Formats: sequence, C-alpha cells, structure tokens
Amino acid sequence: MEKLVIEATKYTPEISFDCEKNVLGIRGKSYPENTSVFYSPVFKWLETYLDHEKSQDITVNMELIYFNSSSSKILMDFCDILDAAADNGKAITVNWVYEEDDEDALEFGEEFQEDLESVTFNLVEKPPG
Amino acid sequence: MLKDLYEFKKDLSRRGIFFCLSGPISQNLVAEIGSTLEQKMNLEDTRRSIVMRVFSTVVENAQNIMRYSDEKEEKLSLGIIAVGYEEDEHYFVLCGNMVENRKVERLRKNLTKLQKMNKHQLKEYYRWQRREGPPEESKGGAGLGFIDMAKKASKPIEFDFKEINEKFHFFSMKTVI
Repeated sequence: MEKLVIEATKYTPEISFDCEKNVLGIRGKSYPENTSVFYSPVFKWLETYLDHEKSQDITVNMELIYFNSSSSKILMDFCDILDAAADNGKAITVNWVYEEDDEDALEFGEEFQEDLESVTFNLVEKPPG
Repeated sequence: MLKDLYEFKKDLSRRGIFFCLSGPISQNLVAEIGSTLEQKMNLEDTRRSIVMRVFSTVVENAQNIMRYSDEKEEKLSLGIIAVGYEEDEHYFVLCGNMVENRKVERLRKNLTKLQKMNKHQLKEYYRWQRREGPPEESKGGAGLGFIDMAKKASKPIEFDFKEINEKFHFFSMKTVI
C-alpha cells in the first residue's frame, strides 16, 4: 500500500501516514467546514493499513495546535479505532503533543488517555509557536 | 454617512470591541480572522491558553453562523461577530444571527441548561455528547460547539432572542473568556 500524505492548509492539518516506517502523523490545525469530508480518506487509509499491516509496532504522533469541536469527535473515533487494533495485539503508541501553557489541549489529551485502554498514550509538551 | 462611520468606530471602542464583522461569513474568512486575532493577542503577550480559547470561540461561533444562520444569500450565511476586551481584563466574543422562530425554544432550552452547569458538569456533558454522537439538527457538526464554548468561558454564556417579525428572531450571545 502507499503512504498517505495530505498537505496542511490554514484549517486542515498535515497528514503524513508512512506505512514503511509505521509512523502516522497528524500536525497543525483542524477546523474544516465539513470534518467528515476531510477525514474520510484518512479513516479509509487507516482501516486498510490496520487490516493488512503485519508489523506490530506503530507510532502515532498527534500534534494539533487547535481543533474545533467537530474535529474533537473525529479524533475520538480515530483513537477508538487505534485502541481496538491495540486490543487485537498490535503495539500502538500515541504521542499527544501539546503546546506548553495550553491547558485545554493537555486536558483533551488526559481525557483521551483515560478513555483508551490498550494503546500506550504519552502526553508530550513542546514549546509554543 | 461618512461622519457616522467614525462615530460607529468610537462606539465600538467605547464598548471595548477591537474587531467586528457583519455580513457573509465563509470558511476562508474564518481562517483569516482567526490568525489575525491570534497575531494581535500574541503581540499583547496574552497567555497561550487564553489566545487559543479566544481563537476557538471565534471559530465555533463563526462556524455556527455558517451552519445555522437562517439569513442566507445562496450558500453564504450572514451574521455578526465581534471580539473585545473588558475592563476587568477578560476577552469576550459576541455573535449574532437570524433564526427561524420555530428553533428559538430548543436553542433557549439548550443554552439555559448549559448556563446552570458548573465546569465539572460541562466537562462530563461534553464527553457524554461526544460519545453519544451528533443530534439530528447538527448539520455536519458534532453538537458540541455550545458546550465547548461554555467550557472555555470564565462565566456562564449570556444569550438573547429578539423578535424581528413573524418569521425570525435575532439570536445573540456573549462568551467571556
């Protein structure tokens, strides 16, 4: 299968899913007018990848400076899919990267961390900007 | 007209408002407004979490107008957004748009419910609604916008409905960050 790369725009994040290195990255801001239109190819790719990928070790870097409320729902669904795959035996590490001093982003990360049972979920602080 | 414009600007300043837009709102405009306000607040050395809360409240409000305003020109939705700074050192966001009369009661009920919740209840309600999935009337949203704003606000959201005619009310709300 091929890598999935979507360039960032002002209101959609950069998607860079590398199936050779098994590193999936979402980086930037997420507040598209219609979240399901933007994310549907992302979910499609993820499901195919999780079904076919033999490798057991997957790293997911979620580095979102801002996401709107409908993206928050999408991120939850995304994390649920990863958690189910981890439950089925894959070793999945999610790094939730948030800006120092952005307590709301940290809180979102903590909530996801609480909800997820099988993925390793790390909270990673980075300097703002 | 021209002299009034200065008076209008002064009136906005007197109310602490430093940004105001009335008219059609599009996704590109939302992105530009968001990043301009972000720049402005960064210049004022505003704390990062406050910058992000103001940014977020402006985006949620603008996208509410885009989805739910009942004043439309073709695909463009019309509304008004203003951002200001109060004397007690809080940013605030004002938002207004027309809604059909039949929607008023449901909105009023939803917002009154949020007004009565404390931070902890809002947090739990947000997580519950996110799991529950969008309500029918959400038009592509997740039904989380108002809860998100209430969560990020430093005091309960204020709102009002003004009757315009037999078809519309003007809905307005104020979120203090």
